[in-house]
Amino acid sequence: MNAQTTRQRPAAGESDPAAAARRAGLALVVPALGVVVAVNVLPAFFGFYSSLRAIFFFGDDGFIGWRNYAELFADPATWAAIRRSMIFTFGSLGLAVPLATLAAMGIRKLGAWGRLLLTVLLVPWAMSPIVVALLWKWILLPSPGGLLASILAHFGIEPINLLSHPDFAMPTVIAVGVWRTFAFAAIILTAGLGQIPADLYRAASVDGLTAIERFRRITFPLLSPSLLIVLSVLTISYFNEVQIIIGLTAGGPIHSTTTLGYQLFEVGFVELNQGKGNAIAIVMFLINLFLIVGYVRLLGGGRK
Amino acid sequence: MRYVTRILAAICAFAAAIVAIGPIVWAVSTSVKRNNEIFAVPPKLIPSSATLDHYGRLIAEGVHWSFVNSAIYSIIAVSSAVALGTLAGYAFVRFEFRMKNALLHLFMAAMAIPSYALLLPTQILFVELGLFNTPAALPILYAAHVIPFAVWMTRAHFASVPIELEHAAAVDGYTRFEAVWRVVLPGAKPALIAAAAFGFLYAWNDYITSTTMIDSPELRTLPVALIFFQGFHGRDWGALMAGAVIATIPPVVLFLAFRRYLIGGFSEGSVKG
Repeated sequence: MNAQTTRQRPAAGESDPAAAARRAGLALVVPALGVVVAVNVLPAFFGFYSSLRAIFFFGDDGFIGWRNYAELFADPATWAAIRRSMIFTFGSLGLAVPLATLAAMGIRKLGAWGRLLLTVLLVPWAMSPIVVALLWKWILLPSPGGLLASILAHFGIEPINLLSHPDFAMPTVIAVGVWRTFAFAAIILTAGLGQIPADLYRAASVDGLTAIERFRRITFPLLSPSLLIVLSVLTISYFNEVQIIIGLTAGGPIHSTTTLGYQLFEVGFVELNQGKGNAIAIVMFLINLFLIVGYVRLLGGGRK
Repeated sequence: MRYVTRILAAICAFAAAIVAIGPIVWAVSTSVKRNNEIFAVPPKLIPSSATLDHYGRLIAEGVHWSFVNSAIYSIIAVSSAVALGTLAGYAFVRFEFRMKNALLHLFMAAMAIPSYALLLPTQILFVELGLFNTPAALPILYAAHVIPFAVWMTRAHFASVPIELEHAAAVDGYTRFEAVWRVVLPGAKPALIAAAAFGFLYAWNDYITSTTMIDSPELRTLPVALIFFQGFHGRDWGALMAGAVIATIPPVVLFLAFRRYLIGGFSEGSVKG
């Protein structure tokens, strides 16, 4: 693609058309680059820099080394939040990935109706997490008026307030989060299933493999590149989910849904301890990185 | 046997569709019911008489201005992000310049920066720059988030367009700009729509950036306004569901209109990725 850009005649006084093209190329990139560097890249470094300083309510009290981190790891609340983040992330994955796999298989089986189904399942994904939280709060209202409580009452089950029960709040938040996002994974898995040659299944049925064997020996191994993508993308998005938690439980009851992401929000924006908040962000980033590397090791080995 | 699995799949599909759409239908139903029916036991899906009072109460509280704010912020952010991203995407394919690969990697790296990690630093930065709690704050932040994605999408498209197309246009007497504008860009429509639609869904649905960057009620976005409304009128489920409905219409209509491009954008990226 090199010399193609040099066709235009250089303007008077310009001797080198290639230099003009270089300037033009750079001039086209600079506006986009400027915004991204100023608002994304530099603040990311500034975030790390801030995590090494004592900053409260926009007042910088200077460099304190790793003290924010030391404080963070000395606090049992941090470890509890990390544990809840893991429960939220892997609980959501455990629910979303099997559901998305089933949905993808159904979508392929149903042909044109399957494409319609995919569209329908994706509607919640287009909604705002805050609106989703509001909507489910209304459905989960114990009574009167709460839809779920009324349905349960019909079967003689005593309604409980799921969102304000320390044992049920986390599973409920997970279920609502998965309701919004699992169909996104189904897109990638549907595309992945489409890549598996149909001949393999024909050969398998000649060999008399059962449905479960077919899944174990053909579908699952050939789907693993798509599964790797789904797991990575969903892990990041669940680990970092905070809006649905803000909307549903605000970290409660008794901190039972305070994940690391929610703690970042609370420490940084409610308590305005911005140095420590940035330290939490860095810890979250490192955990993200660690999880993704783990997946690539685990599932990426079979890829050519 | 095959027939049975098909019927079973159809039943499961129907149940899944109900679970996905049912809650949204329930919200719409609640938003047009009179108060005595909202809390009726057993609940009624179809109200005996519909009312728009709940929507009226939202307007009386000024929530519709937040709808306007959300729309303005999202549209400015997405159109400028797609415009700037397309220029850069084109340059990365058709021009040679210094540090081209390094700059391209910088855009890709920017996509990997998690947005939560930027909340606090950008807040401090925007306070310093006097941009905190101004109408410019959110369009800038949303645009910066969408640009790398727009660069990625358009670059992939332009790389698949043969340069001969532009040469042919030049032979026809088009300037380079005209050739790109009239010949190359129309072909890039799927990439542009996918980038714009993703960007809009992100900007319109955002709560966390908006709530940390805006203080004044008159600059609020819709999700933030709904949370405030809930704080003051927590039991007014009719109005809250009316708010949920108006917040959901733009993204869902957009998704349904452009679902082909959105689904294509994702599955294509993943198969290649």
